[in-house]
Amino acid sequence: MVLISSFILLNVLLLFGLSSILEYLNSGADRTSMLHLEKETVNTYLPKVIWEELNNVGRVMEPNTLKTIEKDYLFSWYIKNKSLENNKKQGIEDYYTQNARVNLYNSIDYNLKNKITIESTTLKHNPKLEFYSEDGQQVVFTDKNVIEFQKVFKDKKLISEVQDTATYKVMMLLEDGFWRIRHIQKMKPEPIEKDTLKSNHEFKVVGKKIKYNNVDFISKGINYYPKNSAWDTFGDLFNKDTIAKDFDIIKKAKLNSIRIFIQYEDFGKADIKPEKLEKLKTLLDLAESKNLKVIITLFDFYSDYTLESWTLTSRHAEKIVTAFKNHKAILAWDIKNEPNLDFENRDKKNVLNWLQQMITVIKENDPNHLVTIGWSNSYEAINLEDKVDFVSYHFYNAIDDFETEYATLDKATKKPIVIQEFGVPSYRGIWNWTGTTKDGQAEYHKKMQELFKKNNLAFMSWTLYDFPSVPNQVAGKWPWQKNRQKKFGFIDEKGKEKPAFLYISN
Amino acid sequence: MKKAINILFLLCALLLLAFGTTLVSNKKVSFELVSNIKTFTAGNSIELEFHSKSEKEKPQLFIIHSYGKTLLDVTIEKGNYIFKIPENYCKKTGDVSWFLINKNETRNSGTFEILPNDATKTVVENYLGPRTILAGGKEFTMMVTVPTDGFDNPKQENTNVILKHQFLQNVTNLNLKTKDFIAWYDIYSPTKSGKMLVSTECDKIATKEIETEIYPNIATNFTIDYKRNHEFADGNQITHFTTSSIKDQYGNVVSDGTLVSFLIKTKNNLILKTFGATINGIASAQLLHPDHQETYSVKGFVTGIAESNSITINYKPIISTFNYSFSNKNRTLTVGPIKSFMNQLVPDGIKVIVKVFHKDNLVTTLQEDTSKGIATFELSEDFYKEKNYRFEITTLGITKQTETLNYELHK
Repeated sequence: MVLISSFILLNVLLLFGLSSILEYLNSGADRTSMLHLEKETVNTYLPKVIWEELNNVGRVMEPNTLKTIEKDYLFSWYIKNKSLENNKKQGIEDYYTQNARVNLYNSIDYNLKNKITIESTTLKHNPKLEFYSEDGQQVVFTDKNVIEFQKVFKDKKLISEVQDTATYKVMMLLEDGFWRIRHIQKMKPEPIEKDTLKSNHEFKVVGKKIKYNNVDFISKGINYYPKNSAWDTFGDLFNKDTIAKDFDIIKKAKLNSIRIFIQYEDFGKADIKPEKLEKLKTLLDLAESKNLKVIITLFDFYSDYTLESWTLTSRHAEKIVTAFKNHKAILAWDIKNEPNLDFENRDKKNVLNWLQQMITVIKENDPNHLVTIGWSNSYEAINLEDKVDFVSYHFYNAIDDFETEYATLDKATKKPIVIQEFGVPSYRGIWNWTGTTKDGQAEYHKKMQELFKKNNLAFMSWTLYDFPSVPNQVAGKWPWQKNRQKKFGFIDEKGKEKPAFLYISN
Repeated sequence: MKKAINILFLLCALLLLAFGTTLVSNKKVSFELVSNIKTFTAGNSIELEFHSKSEKEKPQLFIIHSYGKTLLDVTIEKGNYIFKIPENYCKKTGDVSWFLINKNETRNSGTFEILPNDATKTVVENYLGPRTILAGGKEFTMMVTVPTDGFDNPKQENTNVILKHQFLQNVTNLNLKTKDFIAWYDIYSPTKSGKMLVSTECDKIATKEIETEIYPNIATNFTIDYKRNHEFADGNQITHFTTSSIKDQYGNVVSDGTLVSFLIKTKNNLILKTFGATINGIASAQLLHPDHQETYSVKGFVTGIAESNSITINYKPIISTFNYSFSNKNRTLTVGPIKSFMNQLVPDGIKVIVKVFHKDNLVTTLQEDTSKGIATFELSEDFYKEKNYRFEITTLGITKQTETLNYELHK
């Protein structure tokens, strides 16, 4: 019996093995691979491209052709960047003509031999069409002031980071469906024209003060998530009425501002989802009607600072800030929440470069609103102090240290300071016997408010509500981490004001 | 005392020196470019030489070139820091940005330019298109020429290029100047059709000729005519239509294969069509004669472009009457023999149509073709079961009606 069944099993396995070998031998290359099908740049490389002028001495440029040229041109950069990073020649022949690609091969061979690798990205292209031939096969354009950012490695060791701006004159030929580079020549950058975007700020920074329509504005604010959508303000539970009610509570509590968060992926990465913008607009319109000012923190739950993703994050920020550049409710864009927490794992220089570049992108697209970075402590808050409009930091240390910390930072910066987060959870339970009680929390806020009042300081407390649930990404998955995070609110899960609510403002 | 002061002075100087050197080494070392040459010629070796007060540094030079980026190591000669630009970068033109990096920081930066090497052999690339255009001077072909030096670098702006184009007896020379890598010229078509040859010359280097075909422009109105064997509507002979030689407005015979449609309108306003493509400007088409007296009016068209005059063609009937007879107890109807215009039998295949009526109701329509001038209809008992029938016989445009015939029936 055993013998028969094992014989059958053996045969089954043998047949299976044979059939999979046959199957493998029969499977050839995918038929579509014979064709040069359209390749998509989406979500790989999206530098900003603005065509300056399409009038040219040759043929009238068709919008469709221009799109194809732009796509293939960007691919030529992407492929060049990639090949300098890996010292591989893949894909070059698709975007460079036979004569041009030799030059790239030489560069790659040299770098390979000398163990040099270069990560690079371009952030902006401003091409101007010079010539488009009558038969639609050749095009010449000048790509003005391309901003290139690169990290140079030798023997895998970072040598330096270099930013350069140059103009490129490019000739491309249409060959078997691809626009390929025939000649590319680096040239001196053109004098940069002044930005034509007219700024129209209501908020301004004068010395150490934030001014709103020329009157001192001292933020008395709170970090805000709706009670049931902690870290998910713009999710499925988004409800206008809930937010309106919360804003009434905030306004009645004598607060004048809130801080909200936008998650990179939630909003659609480089392609912003319109429905998310719609929700954000609803929230901002409500804030405006209640006369609350909003600090919007971008790039929450995001920590990829590599050069490769710079163009994508830039498009993300650009689309959001452009949509709201004239919104009256916005006080400031907060580039990222506590980026210094990534210093260790993502390389401090990387993070700072990314932040600095992001400030430029946001300022270029929205000159009307202020920009800040929400550092997690006062010591790191001095980073990029010269680039932000005001300095923000989070204070979760002992109250006794508050005044010294503040004074140290205040001395080091010429910019206004906002204490953008502070608070204490009213959490004492099986995981934490020594935690603060609700009364203890009230006592903490009372003391903090006294300090703020005494020194006339801008603050934003953490947070309006106790949350029934908190995502793992925020504080960790263990109950002693999570439960603590749930109890920072001034109002409990049932909607009852906790004792601390008395000291929510001054 | 004096000795003490001296000692103190020396001590002070020593201290100063000691601390002075530490001060210097703490300061960031600066590097100055020695030579101020900003332009080089492609293919020549390029070195950048820097001078620094400190001679113990190991700086590196990062360069960004049109076709790549790289990092160069230093060699030290006579106390100066020298970077040799790799050969492949020296060959290609354009601006080169350099960044002198010492201890992970950019200490100096600048650019130099590599210019095309006119001493090398010039290479000219030509692109001509469209390669076919229509005569008449409205359309043009564009010659784009890209002169490069021997290293495939586009020549500098305002390089002279001579463009030559030939058409029939005319040879034209034009002087062009390059801009944005290229020199270009629109060559408008002459009024004659034919081949145009174009070539260019730069620095005495001439290119091959490239040709553009100049096709005749579109057709203009034309005339048509017809030819036939006889004028009778025998349904057998063929009428030939031909056009005059179709030309464009400049007198060029239109391209072979230009399609001409002949639209024929019958006296009953039915439209018939026949087609022909031109060869040497002439299109011909054919049409079968009608099988009854008919008047055709015919017009030729090059669709949407040109048309011809209208001609009228009459076809005479070949018979005025015909005979028929019933036999086999009226079960067989024989039509014919039908005789044609010379009293000859009509060609085989003439259509004869018989309509069968019973009490003025059409029962069926039968059709047969003639063979040797005769068409025979069998009216089988199995299908025609009524007592009487009446018939209407039509052929070659003539219709005859029979009496009502009685039929015996099997019981």
